[in-house]
Amino acid sequence: MYGRRASQLVKEFSAGEKGQLSAYNSDMFDQVIRECNAHHLELQNLMRKIQDEGLDIQTTRNADHFGAVIHHLSLVRNKRCLMAYVYNRAELIQNLRWKAGPVLPPEIQEKLSYSEEEYFRNHSAALEAYMSELELDLTVDMVPPKDPYIQVRVLDDIGEVLLSDQSANLARHSMHFLKRSDAEQFISQGLMEELMG
Amino acid sequence: MANYYDIDDIIMEDELIWVVFQKAANGVGLLDPGAESNTVEQGAKVELPFWLAQELHLRQVVTINVPQCFNQKTRKEIQADAACVDLKNRCSYFYELGCKTAPLVGDRTIGSFLLYAFKSRYKDVLSKAHTAAFTVAPKFLSILTKEETMYESAQSSMATFKKWRMGGPRLQRAAVLGKKRKSTD
Repeated sequence: MYGRRASQLVKEFSAGEKGQLSAYNSDMFDQVIRECNAHHLELQNLMRKIQDEGLDIQTTRNADHFGAVIHHLSLVRNKRCLMAYVYNRAELIQNLRWKAGPVLPPEIQEKLSYSEEEYFRNHSAALEAYMSELELDLTVDMVPPKDPYIQVRVLDDIGEVLLSDQSANLARHSMHFLKRSDAEQFISQGLMEELMG
Repeated sequence: MANYYDIDDIIMEDELIWVVFQKAANGVGLLDPGAESNTVEQGAKVELPFWLAQELHLRQVVTINVPQCFNQKTRKEIQADAACVDLKNRCSYFYELGCKTAPLVGDRTIGSFLLYAFKSRYKDVLSKAHTAAFTVAPKFLSILTKEETMYESAQSSMATFKKWRMGGPRLQRAAVLGKKRKSTD
């Protein structure tokens, strides 16, 4: 059936967990592109046939015309599926910049295609340029904090770090009372966790 | 038209419906499993995805039959007890498909039928979401279409309500206020 693969691609995207990126399916993507090329070829054949019969391509409504219409519609449908796949992934990738910071963890990185990586880098650069113009880090405090300080536990050896109001030795398993804005970057990298309670 | 990039809309338009070709079409024999040549003959009855059927209908190439999920049998079941009918099994985009096919097939009863089905199921979904324990939910969820989202939001609103009713003081102090100011020297 026409457009079957393209919709499989879209279904695969929607079957994934909400907000989670699944691996880029370049195999399926290429298959759909090949299908598009086949449709295009058929479309041209049918158009040529109409012209060869000496009929006016604008007004003819014979079996060849309707065959061509079906191929055209399938092309448009495939295009929509591919566009939606790329577009929705791009939105997730944009969100990643806000959630995971400028450097992606390798397990996410390997799920991106080459151009998606490039998109991420460029988006990240644009955001950074804007933030340095404002002299404000927009990615911290996405939810307004109740308290500027939080209690954190260090998960990995970070070492001596100069923070905005103190310098602290962030050894593994040590606990600290830090400014939220300082802790946020470590938490998003998975080096610290917030102690609730 | 719905959002071009809308994933749900795209998947919904993939639902298969039966159509009858009013004109022959060359070079698309793949559509009709019974075709002998590479042509779909006039009068052939073929199952097409909605996106193709809709466009071909606009060009008057095909006529669309009322999809299976709106047949008399389903209608009777809905009338008997709407909330217990397994709509997901019939068509996971029951309402969306109904809204889109109704103007194409010229069946005026579909609209009111959808409204009736939704109204009676809505009431039931809400009351189940508010009262059912988490353990029985999965069985009930499996017969819902996109109504799932409705079920989930009803459940979360109930949870928030309970929290509000049980939970502590009505006005919470900001954590900053409680603390003594540290001396800076």
